[in-house]
Amino acid sequence: MEPVLTEAARADVATAASSSADTPRTNSTAREKEQRLVAWLAERRSVILGFSGGVDSAYLACVALEALGPARFLAVIGRSPSYPDAQWDAARTLAAQFAIPVLEVNTHEMLDPRYVANPSNRCYFCKTELWSVLRAVADERGFDTIVDGSNADDTHDWRPGRHAAREHAVESPLADLGFTKDEIRAMSRARGLPTWSTPSSPCLSSRLPYGSAVTLERLQQVERAETALRALGVEGDLRVRHHGDLARVELPADRLDTWLAAPNLRALVRAVRDAGFARVSVDLAGFRSGSLNVLGARGA
Amino acid sequence: MNAHALAAALAGHGVDARVEARDALAVITMSNGDAAERLRDAELRRVVLALAAQHGFKMVALELASATDDGAALSGH
Repeated sequence: MEPVLTEAARADVATAASSSADTPRTNSTAREKEQRLVAWLAERRSVILGFSGGVDSAYLACVALEALGPARFLAVIGRSPSYPDAQWDAARTLAAQFAIPVLEVNTHEMLDPRYVANPSNRCYFCKTELWSVLRAVADERGFDTIVDGSNADDTHDWRPGRHAAREHAVESPLADLGFTKDEIRAMSRARGLPTWSTPSSPCLSSRLPYGSAVTLERLQQVERAETALRALGVEGDLRVRHHGDLARVELPADRLDTWLAAPNLRALVRAVRDAGFARVSVDLAGFRSGSLNVLGARGA
Repeated sequence: MNAHALAAALAGHGVDARVEARDALAVITMSNGDAAERLRDAELRRVVLALAAQHGFKMVALELASATDDGAALSGH
């Protein structure tokens, strides 16, 4: 499907993408943190990383591979219906590009009724499953340390998944060494990692209001809709929030004027309807991380 | 949350739309893309968001009327 952006809109996007003001730069603090990270990793006999292919875990994978070598490091991708195919493809491509040793395992959080019920601590049940599977892999293969890509900014958010990580003795060196997201992006860019500018992409279940059951059909609706909108030309932060029959599309706030132009809006609505939503709406405030937390339970 | 009052307030600013309350989410429905295009104006969006907040809503989403609704007269309800 061809993007619908006008020439003027494309020029705007190109200008924004090349703006030096938006480009993260390394500094001595970030470089010192990376040196400490290398030292931290080198002290471990062997390390397994929960690898999503996102900004944080991609950076950590590359540093860990350098510090430990391929025999002492393994990146593990946990696959489930809440993990978008596009992200899976990106993770595999990145691993191949940087020679990161990768293992793919299936996780089964969808079989846990506590997860499916979608409580506000849903992430705890998902991460409990993920870390249980990775712990089994570590024991079987003789790895002694499991790490995740949590960063220092994550410690300020509502993250029940971190509780599961602690219960499974999963360590978070990026967070513990004080790496901010901006620093990770800057160091990723310096390393030539394509993920430096990748928008954050939490799992698809995060598009469902708490209390709204996580089902395969709903996750697939969201994934189809977001994939279709990317094909239309939506760049940057994007979420299709699932409110039952209604999709609420969150776009970057500074792009709303473009997407609310009648031809673009009609194309957007058509794409999301084709993904299986009866009704389609666009959030007038634009993208906000964790916006469903504002609505509380259900919000549908 | 008061959908009727918000619809009236929006009409006062020239935004003729239905308003549906879904808990703290206000869904405002306009007849077609041309009508909705007015909301490309960031200042008008700011006004709509402020009015919604005044009426107890935490979020506002703009919906185009579904295909079966196209052409239907719109009003606050």
